[in-house]
Amino acid sequence: MAATTGPNTVSAGRYVGQAVKRLEDPRLLSGHGRYVDDVQLPGMLHVAFVRSSVARGTIVSIDTAAALALPGVHAVYTGADLNPRVGMFWHTMMGPPPELGGQTPYAPLTPLAGDDVRFVGDPIAVVIADNRYIAEDAADLVEVEIDAQQAIVGWETALDTDQRVHPGMASNVGQEMPATEVPEVEALFAGAPHVFTRRFAQCRATNVPMEPRGIIVHFDQYAGDMQIWAATQSASEWKATASRLTGVAEHRVKVVANDVGGGFGQKMMMTRDEAAVVMAAHLFGEAPIKWTEDRRESLMTANQGREEICDVTFAVTDDGVLLGAKVVFWEDIGAYPSAASSIAGMAGAVFPGPYKFPVVLPSGSTLYTNTVGKAAYRGPWMIETVAREQMMDHIAYELGIDPIEIRRRNVIHADDLPYTTCTTMVYESVTPSETMEQALEMLDVAAFRAMQAEAREQGRLLGMGVSIYIEPSAVAFGILSSDQAIMRMDNSGKVIVAMSTGNHGQSLETTIPQIVAEHLGCNIEDVLLVQGNTESSPTGPGTGGSRSAVVAGGAAMTAALKLKDKIVQIAAHMLEASPDDMEVNESVVSVKGTPAKALPFAMIAPIAYQMPEMLPQGMEMGLEVTARFQPAGQYTWSNATHVCTVEIDPETGMTKILRYIVSEDCGRMVNPMVVEGQIAGGVVQGIGGVLFENMIYDDDGNPLCTTFLDYLIPTAPEVPDIEVGHIETLAPGLTGFKGMGEGGAIAAPPCVANAIHDALRHLGIHPTTFPLGPSQVLQLLNDAKG
Amino acid sequence: MKPSPFTYHAPESIAEATALLAELGDDAKALAGGQSLVPMLSLRLAAFEHLVDLNRVAGLNAIERVNGHLRLGATVRQATAEHSAEVKSSVPLLARALPHIGHFQIRNRGTVGGSIAHADPASELPAVALALDAVIEAAGPGGTRRIAASDFFVSTWETALNDGEILSAVEFPVWSGRCGFAVEELTRRHGDFAIVGTAVGVQVDGDAVTKATIALFGVGATPLRASEAEAALMAGADVAEVARAATAGLTPSDDVHASGAYRTQVAAVMVRRALTKAIQEARA
Amino acid sequence: MSDETVVQFTVNGRSRRVVVEPRKLLSDVLREDLHLTGTHVGCEHGACGACTVMVDGAAVRSCLMFAVQAAGSEVVTVEGVTPTDGTLNTFQQAMQDCHGLQCGFCTPGFVVSMTSYLADNPAPTDDDLKIALSGNLCRCTGYRGIINAARTAAGLPVPANAADGSDH
Repeated sequence: MAATTGPNTVSAGRYVGQAVKRLEDPRLLSGHGRYVDDVQLPGMLHVAFVRSSVARGTIVSIDTAAALALPGVHAVYTGADLNPRVGMFWHTMMGPPPELGGQTPYAPLTPLAGDDVRFVGDPIAVVIADNRYIAEDAADLVEVEIDAQQAIVGWETALDTDQRVHPGMASNVGQEMPATEVPEVEALFAGAPHVFTRRFAQCRATNVPMEPRGIIVHFDQYAGDMQIWAATQSASEWKATASRLTGVAEHRVKVVANDVGGGFGQKMMMTRDEAAVVMAAHLFGEAPIKWTEDRRESLMTANQGREEICDVTFAVTDDGVLLGAKVVFWEDIGAYPSAASSIAGMAGAVFPGPYKFPVVLPSGSTLYTNTVGKAAYRGPWMIETVAREQMMDHIAYELGIDPIEIRRRNVIHADDLPYTTCTTMVYESVTPSETMEQALEMLDVAAFRAMQAEAREQGRLLGMGVSIYIEPSAVAFGILSSDQAIMRMDNSGKVIVAMSTGNHGQSLETTIPQIVAEHLGCNIEDVLLVQGNTESSPTGPGTGGSRSAVVAGGAAMTAALKLKDKIVQIAAHMLEASPDDMEVNESVVSVKGTPAKALPFAMIAPIAYQMPEMLPQGMEMGLEVTARFQPAGQYTWSNATHVCTVEIDPETGMTKILRYIVSEDCGRMVNPMVVEGQIAGGVVQGIGGVLFENMIYDDDGNPLCTTFLDYLIPTAPEVPDIEVGHIETLAPGLTGFKGMGEGGAIAAPPCVANAIHDALRHLGIHPTTFPLGPSQVLQLLNDAKG
Repeated sequence: MKPSPFTYHAPESIAEATALLAELGDDAKALAGGQSLVPMLSLRLAAFEHLVDLNRVAGLNAIERVNGHLRLGATVRQATAEHSAEVKSSVPLLARALPHIGHFQIRNRGTVGGSIAHADPASELPAVALALDAVIEAAGPGGTRRIAASDFFVSTWETALNDGEILSAVEFPVWSGRCGFAVEELTRRHGDFAIVGTAVGVQVDGDAVTKATIALFGVGATPLRASEAEAALMAGADVAEVARAATAGLTPSDDVHASGAYRTQVAAVMVRRALTKAIQEARA
Repeated sequence: MSDETVVQFTVNGRSRRVVVEPRKLLSDVLREDLHLTGTHVGCEHGACGACTVMVDGAAVRSCLMFAVQAAGSEVVTVEGVTPTDGTLNTFQQAMQDCHGLQCGFCTPGFVVSMTSYLADNPAPTDDDLKIALSGNLCRCTGYRGIINAARTAAGLPVPANAADGSDH
């Protein structure tokens, strides 16, 4: 284990572990990135959607005549045109639906609304026109008559009502993890010194990639080929989905995702809107068509996240030692979630997190409502950390124990490892205790407590919060289990590596070359990552779920070692030395101790391609290798502790974050600068989820936050300087890398909430519900005054 | 989010502009900085067959002292006013309100006159105009008329301007003597529309407050003057009491950011803090 | 549809002429008619700042102007603030050094805004910088690298606890 609060890492090599400046930056900084809306094709036409203005109702009629009569309009398609043409609509990542032999319960997916609408923004028709301006003019001319019905809004309503979001379904429950009655656990709770129950709730948020969704589809009906340019996190996933939708053979579908302006989970799966564009292009068949989602559409119709309830019951001893927990999750998944649930599968399993729970009994239900569907959003299971970490503070205050002390009594220590949680998760290499102590040292708890006491004398409200989590990175199941590197050295000794990954902010164009250059022994400038293109890249998971460093990084490293091995064999043969006596530095293979006996890659590569007679006997020509990497476990665990301090204005309820500290262990760091960037980005999204962001629907299912004046994401003046400490314990296996992309967004919300709780608890205020914006906090203060 | 079609007019004189607006009536809208109007058009919350762009009208972008007032032409950019030494020294309240408007990129384009004519009840400049008893000059086909700020703001986005009239200038009185001014507002983030805010000014003579103005924004359909509270302050009431008086009886509405009750409660805090600052400044 | 009009203006130092509908936003004309796709459209209601360009020397939202309003003006986009010799300007270079961008979509707006701001305000305070940055939204970086880039470009100290780009 190596600990540092600075950027340098103990295991740093020439490239891996170094804060290498990003290779992709010059083009992005100068305005020469290539995002989907930047692509203009000859003859390209533009799409606008006609969308429902009511949350639930029966479509009585759709009149497209006036729209079709507008000059510049080429086609208007409704559900009746497109839906019957769909082959299959399901996601590779989730597997097929039960009727096709799978296990994933899907909402009944059709690209456009059929007989009824199920949320405000539900796509009803696709307009294809010369440009977006005319397309919007035409969309306004489509007359839709809807017989509106009372919307089903809120998970409790969905549970109680006899009405159905999806007509024909037996209930509004999407997925259920039933509660289990275990007599021993009941006895344990009955006999426990203390049993505490709380309900924690977090409000709905949305991912807000700065680039909204977008897709260009060109179906060349004469060639039988479909080409798609898209803002997607996974080109492979979209290729397969488009093929299933249209019946165009998968090898005739090409998907290109160049630069993508953020996703945070929202752009992983192809959604109904994009599927409608695919189907429209397939039917239209004449020209490429482009849909660029605008911000109102993005806030009104792109899949959203959070909005979960967690009922937690903890049994504890007088000393605050955890005896067990029962956890019930309720999740509002809207009408058309891109995956049926994020909770049922994961949150219960990872609930124990950093603590030694003897038993945890999770259960939960997901409920369909007449609102936008739910997608993955950076740590989609994170309600477990939100609930658990707040609950630790609640029980600490109930028992009169310091929240730090109660964590120390329950946290997993180095000498507990390897540790198997009560939910059968196995930790070999995690440091929850060490990160907590490092973060607390960075804060100087005693100094803060003194400042807090002094401030309180003056009527000022200061508080500190702690949260610890263990991040299940690189979740490996189904298509997510592995990735491949296709690596080739060209004639000049330069390296191209193709992967299934994508660029939506993860810096892989720099970090994958760092890994390759480190392990192949070349200069980083000589390595190029090709990604986001299904013709040149392998089938794989894409980028998401904190996986690329682990899975793609593992594949890149394995391929680099394989390629190096072949190069060394060729060089050794030519230099008449043993391969075991060779070393590789800066693209030169030499005999150890005899630097004069050396061959650069630039001389070896042409031999491999052009001079078979100079190769070792029986060696295949060329310098191409592939390597597919599958991590050893189903999860690669990273961990961190967050600590922050806040001041609350007692007269306005406004919270200001004073300091924010993260101690992170993501194993061997490929690039600490990139690691810290991922931490900061996640933390600020997490802060947003507590203090600023709240996607509100009224009782009729109308979304009330459809502009950036209503849905508030943090800006520069609202965020503190984020201080980062590092602890490096290698992950088991080849690379030592652990994923960490989601953790910041997982741990920050309870950390901020706990700091607010700490600032207010002496007034008898114990918050449990997000958001904790100024109006909510002032209400709590007013209520406490009575 | 693309605007509906319109015909674009770029008149070069006030006469030309007002004649166009009078002729086109409800089908036309005057365009100044466009920082509020253009998003409404793009969201298709508003649509006009004609836009009359005032940016090329001559003589609308001057800042000058006239008869104890500082006169700002309709198309003076907010950034220009913000950085004007004349505005800082003559109308400190305006200078202090301007940095609260959006962000510097917005103020580079947005105009002082446009903001007042747009009459958003949550924005700062209408409240400043009301607080200072500014005079709004309206130009129409028949010439100009002068409207007191207290008569100008009718309701949300609604003013006393008639069809065919444009706001051609705003004249802010210049205060003399020992004065202090403050703008206090509560925003969720820097640059957001205020949930609630206040613009205040005081003039003191020794311990006495001899002149006081308190305007509130974000609490109703227009900015509001708290006249009784002003009188109480001049009668010697303490600022906390004045703040309560200023906000008694308000009935602000709820929105996604805060309830009406929250606005009322915090408005009193803002008024107290603003008056404390302004009085301190005046006495310094 | 309203009639198209001729708009002549200077973009990044070159005289340009386009024929567009009056309702066409400056952001769309730059991107679609002039193929300057570095100006990004992130909200079309003036809130995100991704489309920021300079018009007659002042940073403004190009989604809140009609191209026809820019007739006769000098417009500078992110492509135009970038040196032509393959280097980056001071703020751009600081952005790379401080990891001020991830997905890069909001980046051109920050680059134009801060290039303009720092030219007009060469000696800002730390608070001034954060306020100057408040008109641009970023969802990836948490602003950490962007604030540090602004500090670096303005000659202000950067907190010690941050990994910055080494010279590789």
